[in-house]
Amino acid sequence: MAAPSMAAALAASLPAPSAAPAPVQPTYEAIPASMSKVIDVEAEIPVNSIQLDGLVVSKILKHSREATAATAHGLLLGIDLDGTLEVSNSFPLPHHAGDEDEKSARSVARYQASVLRSLREVQADDSVVGFYQASTLGAFFNQSLFDTQVVHQEKLRHGGVVVVHDISQTARGNASFRAFRLTSSFLDAYKKTNFNTSSLVSHQLTFSSILEELPVRIRTNPLLSSFLGELGTSAVSPLSDTAIGSATTSALPPSFSVLDLNTGGLTKNLEQIGEALDSYRTEEGNLAYLSRQIARERARADNYIAKRKEENIARVAQGLVPLPEEDVTRLFKIPSEPSRLESMLLLGQVDAYAKSLAETSSMGLVKMYATTAGSG
Amino acid sequence: MPLGSSSSAIQIQNPASASAIQNVPRTPTRITIHPVALFSILDHYLRRKDDQDRVIGTLLGIRTDTEVEVRSSFAVLHSETSEQVAVDMEYYRTMYELHHKVNPKEVIVGWYSTGSNLNTYSALIQNFYSQETTPFQAVHVSLNTGTEEGEQAGVKGYISSPAGVLPKPENAVFVPVPVELQFHESERSGIDLLTSTASSSTSTSSQPLTDLEILESAIQNVSNMLDRVLAYVRAVLAGEAKGDPAVGRYLMDTLGANTDDLEKGGFNARLQDTLMLSYLANLVRSQAEVSSRLALINA
Repeated sequence: MAAPSMAAALAASLPAPSAAPAPVQPTYEAIPASMSKVIDVEAEIPVNSIQLDGLVVSKILKHSREATAATAHGLLLGIDLDGTLEVSNSFPLPHHAGDEDEKSARSVARYQASVLRSLREVQADDSVVGFYQASTLGAFFNQSLFDTQVVHQEKLRHGGVVVVHDISQTARGNASFRAFRLTSSFLDAYKKTNFNTSSLVSHQLTFSSILEELPVRIRTNPLLSSFLGELGTSAVSPLSDTAIGSATTSALPPSFSVLDLNTGGLTKNLEQIGEALDSYRTEEGNLAYLSRQIARERARADNYIAKRKEENIARVAQGLVPLPEEDVTRLFKIPSEPSRLESMLLLGQVDAYAKSLAETSSMGLVKMYATTAGSG
Repeated sequence: MPLGSSSSAIQIQNPASASAIQNVPRTPTRITIHPVALFSILDHYLRRKDDQDRVIGTLLGIRTDTEVEVRSSFAVLHSETSEQVAVDMEYYRTMYELHHKVNPKEVIVGWYSTGSNLNTYSALIQNFYSQETTPFQAVHVSLNTGTEEGEQAGVKGYISSPAGVLPKPENAVFVPVPVELQFHESERSGIDLLTSTASSSTSTSSQPLTDLEILESAIQNVSNMLDRVLAYVRAVLAGEAKGDPAVGRYLMDTLGANTDDLEKGGFNARLQDTLMLSYLANLVRSQAEVSSRLALINA
């Protein structure tokens, strides 16, 4: 990791504290106030915003569009500085089939290590700060995302972030990048691998409280800014007798696809809401079946205990020795309560799809009224 | 969408001879570049070492008949002194293999360098890449970052052909090929996001934007254009400027758009559909919210 080593080197080169160091926090004495924002060896300044470089934006865009499945994901590289996580580079991870988990995980790890090594050789940032994931119609809740993020949150400095890129929204003219981190209550529940009802209640977990969103900013470095500016300017075509539409040439002509009245993709969105609802219902059905089974077993156990007690009372009344009260758990196998994580995530999917539909349709309304106002 | 100024070079294709000799591929007449390749080059240039004048790297992409589509690029280590040039082959191979894992479709099509001077070393590197891409010709893209005084930022594309009586690797003629920026329409909004970020004073912009904000800026843009057109038309009417008939016809085509469809029943039908969808979406959302709260109630 480049960050701590550089910070350590800086700290070492600073003059030794002249005053006797306070016994409680001796490290603060060594770092002058002006440098305290920059030197953050122990990752004490919490990350509260994400800054994406223009290069990362374009890389994620390209990878998300070209990936075969809607599961394009990759790693983000960068550094954190005074509460801002600056993501300066990224690279895609190969898409692996679900079968040979063990083998593919190892090959991904090998791939990752050699990419990082190669990037270091050309002076690029090589510390992993999180990962990105492409999604369609805002629905990014899935088990693998959470599994990866839990691993990251434990291993990476500052816990790492996940940047979610919405392909369908980008195609509609609004390139969207959102950054998330798992909430501490979700992590706590995850560590106990316990997502039964009582755990959900005690952690106050619903699908909206699994992730906390971090503000994202996009930044272009001056070189990129000037280059993009150059692309946008139009030059007069050297040919004199061209048609008026091509009289001026520009690498990036303005586009007005946002003003398109046709709100496409609504049918697909509706279908996906239906599908998500179906799978949610199936999952709920499973849960209900399991909890009925639990209730049945428990009732049988309770019955047995009650019967034994009655018998014992009768025997005591007759002056006989009471029968021993056996361990019921050995006689009856009460299944453990099922995990509700899957159903919670599915509900999150439903909500995300519905939210995306609501946004699209409200946009459609605005555009329709705008057109009639314009034409009337 | 052409990049850089156009050149006066002529590309001559002889279709008859090309079809006659099947195994000799035709020379590319057009290079298209995806923005991500350009941005990677700029980033590489930004991270060069102090003593490096220019940086080079490999271009990856797809070839069609007479067109080369550059999809991405990666940096390659190299060193140039007055006596020699060296390219880190091992590094280059590793990077290509790594890249190939993620993007199996993309192959090596050529190389890039920053700055716009072509020298003997360029010819040598070109020769090296030509060996890598045989039987196809390697393309060379030189990107001028515009950081040196008196030079304009731009991108130029070249193919090479041997020159001189005896073919030597360091002798080559670089023939310019037109270069164009190309990306998928669905990536357009991302590029727009970057250009608007670049033109803001702080070079940063916050995310996520709502759809309405984007619509607002687009409408404002259109409104500005209408103002310009209006100013022009007024100037023509007042006799201050000479009217261009072509502009007039374009204006008539554009502004005479027919919105009858919306005014008749179509508007109401669509309004009802959209309202229904909006209602349904909000209903689903509130149900989901209630359901998630109910799950928290311990029976």
